Amino acid sequence: MYGRKVKLRFFFIFLILIILSLSVFLILKSLEENVVYFKSPTEIQTLTEINKNKIRIGGMVKENSILIDEKKLKFIVTDFKNDINVTYTGAIPNLFTEGKGVVAEGYLKDKKFFLATKILAKHDENYMPPEVKSALEEK
Amino acid sequence: MKIKFYPAFLILIFFIIFLIFYKGLQNPNTYTPSVEIKKNIPEFKVKKFKNEKILNSKDIFLDNKFYLFNIWASWCVPCREEHKYLMKFKKDKNIEIIGLNYKDSDENANEFLNELKNPYDIILSDLDGTIAIEWGAYGVPETFLIHDKKIIKKIIGPINEYSFIEIEEIIK
Amino acid sequence: MASLIGFYSLFSGLLCSIFVIYFSIINFRNSKILDKKILIFTFFQFFFVIISFFALIISFVISDFSNETVFNHSHTTKPLFYKISGVWGNHEGSLLLWLVVLTLFIYLFLIKSKEQKKNYKILTLLFQEIIIIGFFIFLIKTSNPFNYIFPIPTEGLGLNPILQDPALAIHPPVLYLGYVGSSIIFSSALAGATLNYISKDWARHIKKWVIISWIFLTLGILLGSIWAYYELGWGGFWFWDPVENVSLMPWLCLTTLLHCILVLEKKNILTSWVVVLSITTFMLSMCGTFLVRSGILNSVHTFANDPERGLFILIFLFILIFLSLFIFFFIFKNSNKNPTNLFWLSKETSILINNWFMMYFLAVVLIGTIYPIFLEVITSEKISVGPPFFQKLIIPFLIPFLIFMAIGSQLKWVKSDLKNKLYLVLFFIISLILTLLIIKNLKINFLTNTVLLTAAFFLFFITVRDFFKKEFKNLSQNIAHFGFSLLILSILFNNIFSTEIISNLKIGETINSNKIQINFESINQKEKQNYKAIIGKFNIKDQYGKNQILNPELRIYNQPNIVTSEADIKTNLFTDKFITMNLVQNQDYFNIRYQIKPFMIWIWVSVIIICFGGTLSLFKRNYEN
Repeated sequence: MYGRKVKLRFFFIFLILIILSLSVFLILKSLEENVVYFKSPTEIQTLTEINKNKIRIGGMVKENSILIDEKKLKFIVTDFKNDINVTYTGAIPNLFTEGKGVVAEGYLKDKKFFLATKILAKHDENYMPPEVKSALEEK
Repeated sequence: MKIKFYPAFLILIFFIIFLIFYKGLQNPNTYTPSVEIKKNIPEFKVKKFKNEKILNSKDIFLDNKFYLFNIWASWCVPCREEHKYLMKFKKDKNIEIIGLNYKDSDENANEFLNELKNPYDIILSDLDGTIAIEWGAYGVPETFLIHDKKIIKKIIGPINEYSFIEIEEIIK
Repeated sequence: MASLIGFYSLFSGLLCSIFVIYFSIINFRNSKILDKKILIFTFFQFFFVIISFFALIISFVISDFSNETVFNHSHTTKPLFYKISGVWGNHEGSLLLWLVVLTLFIYLFLIKSKEQKKNYKILTLLFQEIIIIGFFIFLIKTSNPFNYIFPIPTEGLGLNPILQDPALAIHPPVLYLGYVGSSIIFSSALAGATLNYISKDWARHIKKWVIISWIFLTLGILLGSIWAYYELGWGGFWFWDPVENVSLMPWLCLTTLLHCILVLEKKNILTSWVVVLSITTFMLSMCGTFLVRSGILNSVHTFANDPERGLFILIFLFILIFLSLFIFFFIFKNSNKNPTNLFWLSKETSILINNWFMMYFLAVVLIGTIYPIFLEVITSEKISVGPPFFQKLIIPFLIPFLIFMAIGSQLKWVKSDLKNKLYLVLFFIISLILTLLIIKNLKINFLTNTVLLTAAFFLFFITVRDFFKKEFKNLSQNIAHFGFSLLILSILFNNIFSTEIISNLKIGETINSNKIQINFESINQKEKQNYKAIIGKFNIKDQYGKNQILNPELRIYNQPNIVTSEADIKTNLFTDKFITMNLVQNQDYFNIRYQIKPFMIWIWVSVIIICFGGTLSLFKRNYEN
C-alpha cells in the first residue's frame, strides 16, 4: 500500500487538478458571456434574430446625419450599402465627425435601430478601427 | 517518458501560439483610408507653381475628362519611385496630370523637375498644406483619379506597377 | 551630422557586443578571474549606445529634419520639453532607449556583483548579450532611427498632441527600466539554472534587481494610468485595454517572483518555481513589446506599426522561449536537498497560496488580452473582450487574496500556531461592522462589494496595527501591504461613490441634475505656440450650494491638425471634480461630461506608498541567518 506521504501527495495533485479545471471552466464561461461581437450594418440586415447581447457596430458616420439635443445624439452609421440609426447618450469623443469611421457599442433594438452605450475613440485621427476597415472593404 | 513528455508538450503549445501570432500578423491592422467612392472633388483656389496666378478648381477640372491629381514634393523619396509611371501617363493623351507641390520650396521643386523631367500638365503649389488637407490626403505621395469632377480612385503612397495597370484599364 | 555620429556609434556598440561575447567565451573556459577586457567592452558598449541616444536627442532639439525620425515626429513649433520626450515617443527612439537601458543594466550588474562566482557572471552576461544583439539587429535592420532624407524638408510632421503630456513624457523610460530590469533577472536565472546555482545566496543577490525592476514597473504603470485619467477624458484610470493589460501582466508575474524570492532566501525551497517566474516575467515584457509594436492588438492606443517589425520580435521572442525551455528541462537539475515540506500554518504557505491567486489573475488577463487575436485567426470572427470579463473574474477572488495577505504577514516562517491570534477575528468583526455601516447608507447592496470591502478593511487594520506594534522588523513589507489595502479601498470607494452627469449644452444653458447645477457661461479663445485653445467657463453649484468655476479646454493643434480636449480637474483630499467638453461637428452643442470622483488622489498616493515600501527594503540589512 502507499505510505501516508504518497497519499497526501496524490491528494494535493488531485486538488490542484480540480482547481485548475474549475478556473479554466470559469474563465471560458465568462469569456463566452462577455465577449462583444463586431457587426457591420450589412451583417445586421442578414441576422435572423435580434440578440439581447451587447454588440459593436462600425462604419462611417453618414454625412449630414448628426442630430443633437440636450439629452441625445442621433446619427446614422453606414457601410455604403446599408444604414443603421444610432441613438446615444453619453460622452462624445473628439474624433467623432461626419464622414469618418466610428465604432459604437450597445444593443440592437431592431435591424434599423441601435441604442449605443459607448462610442469608441481612437487617439489617432488617421486611424480607423480595423473592424471598420474590413467591413467597408467587404461591401 | 515522463521527463520527455512535458517539454514536448510545451514546445508544441508554444509552437502553436507562434503560428497563431504569425497568422495574426498577416492581417495587420494598419489602416489605409478607404476609398470614398464617387465623392465630389473639393472646391478650392490655388496658386500656380512659379507664378502668382490664382486658379479656381472649377477651371482646372472639366467634365468628361480623366485627371490624375498627384500630390508630390521634392523632399519625398517615394515620389521618385513613382515618377516613371507619371512619365508613362504623360504619353497617354486620355489623361491630364495635375501636380500639387506639397510644402516645398520653389527652387527645390524646380531642381527635382529638371533632374527627372516634368510629367505634369499643370503644377499647383500648396505651400502650407491646406489644399492637401481639403482633399483628405494622408501623406506624400498620394494620387487621385478624377472623372466628371468625381474621385473614382485614390492611391496612397507611390504608384506601382499594379495600380498603374489598374488606372490604364479604367481610362481606356 | 549628429545623425551620422549616432549611426556609426550604434555600429560600434554592436561591434563591442561581439567582442564581449568573444572574450566571455574565452574567459569562461580558461582563467579563474573575470577578464578586465570584458568589463571594459561592456562599458564601451553602453558608452556607444548612449552617444547614439544623445545624438538622436540633439537631432530632435535642433529640429534636424534630414533625419527621418525627427521629420516624422517633430515640429519646430513644439516646446523643447516635448521635442526631447519625442525621442522616445516613437518606435525607433523607444527601441534605442530599450538598448540604452539594457546595456546600462548589464554593466551595473557586472560591477555590482563582484562577490559572485566568475562563471555565473559570464553566463549571465552571455545571455544578456544575446538579448542585446537581438535588439541591435532589430534596430539597425528594421527601425534605424538615423535614416536620412534628401532633399531636407523644411518642416516636420509633428507629434500626436495627445502624447504631449508630462506624465506620458516620462512614462516610457520608467516602464522600460522595469521591463529591462526583468531581462537581468531572466539572464541571471538562466545562468543560475545552467550552473545549478539557484540557492539562498543567489536569491539574496538577485533580490535587489527584482525589487528595483518591480519599483520601476509599478511607477511606470502608475504614470500611464495618471495620463489616461486626465488626458483621455473618460475619467477612468484603468480600462482593461490590451495595451494596459500588457504592462499589468509582467507586473503580476514580477510581484509573485518578489515574494517567492523571499521564500527561497529563507527556506531554500521553490527553486524551479522561481526560475519559471523569472523567465515568464521577461517573456511577458517582450510579448508586450511584440503585441504593442506589431499592431496585432486592437486597442484605443494606436501605434504606428509595421508587420515586418512584428515578425522580427515574434521570431526573437520565440527563440528566447525555446532557449529557456531547453535550459530549464535539459540542463537545469533541481539540486534541492530540502524536501518541500510545508506546514499548513506558516508564512510560506500563505505566500504560496497567494502565488496561485496571482497566477490565476495573470491567466485571466492573458486570456482576455490574446483571445481576440486567436479567435480572429481561427474563425475570422471579430470580437473584443470588455471590462466586465476582467472584473467578474478578478474581483471575487480578491477577497480570499486580501485575507491571506493580512493573515500571512502575522504568521511566522516555517511553523506557526494559533496562539494569540484572537485579535485577527476581532479585527475581522470590526471591519465587517464598519462595512455594513457604510453600505447601509447607500442604495446599492452587492454581496461581493460588502465582502470585498470587509476584506480590504481587514488588511488595512492589520497593517495599521503592525505599525504600532512591531519593532520595525518588517517595515517595508508592512508599508507595501498597507499601500495595497489603501489602493483597494480607494478604488472601491471611487467606484461606489462616483457620480456622473453627461449632457449636451449650448453656451448660456444650465442643467440641473441630482441637486447639481451646471451653468455653461461662456467660451473664449487663446492662441498658444502650437495650438489654439477654446476655453469653456462652467459655473458649477454642488449639492451643498457651493459654487466653483471649472475651465475645460479644447485644443486645436496645428501640426498635425488634431482636436483634443483637456479636462479640468479640481482635486482635493476627498474628491476630484472632473469636467471635459467636446465639440460636436457642425452643431451649436457642446458635449459636457462632469464627474465627481471620490478618493481619486488616494489611488495615486497608495501606489506611491507601495513603491516606497519596496524602496525601503533595498536599504534594509540583509538577513544574517
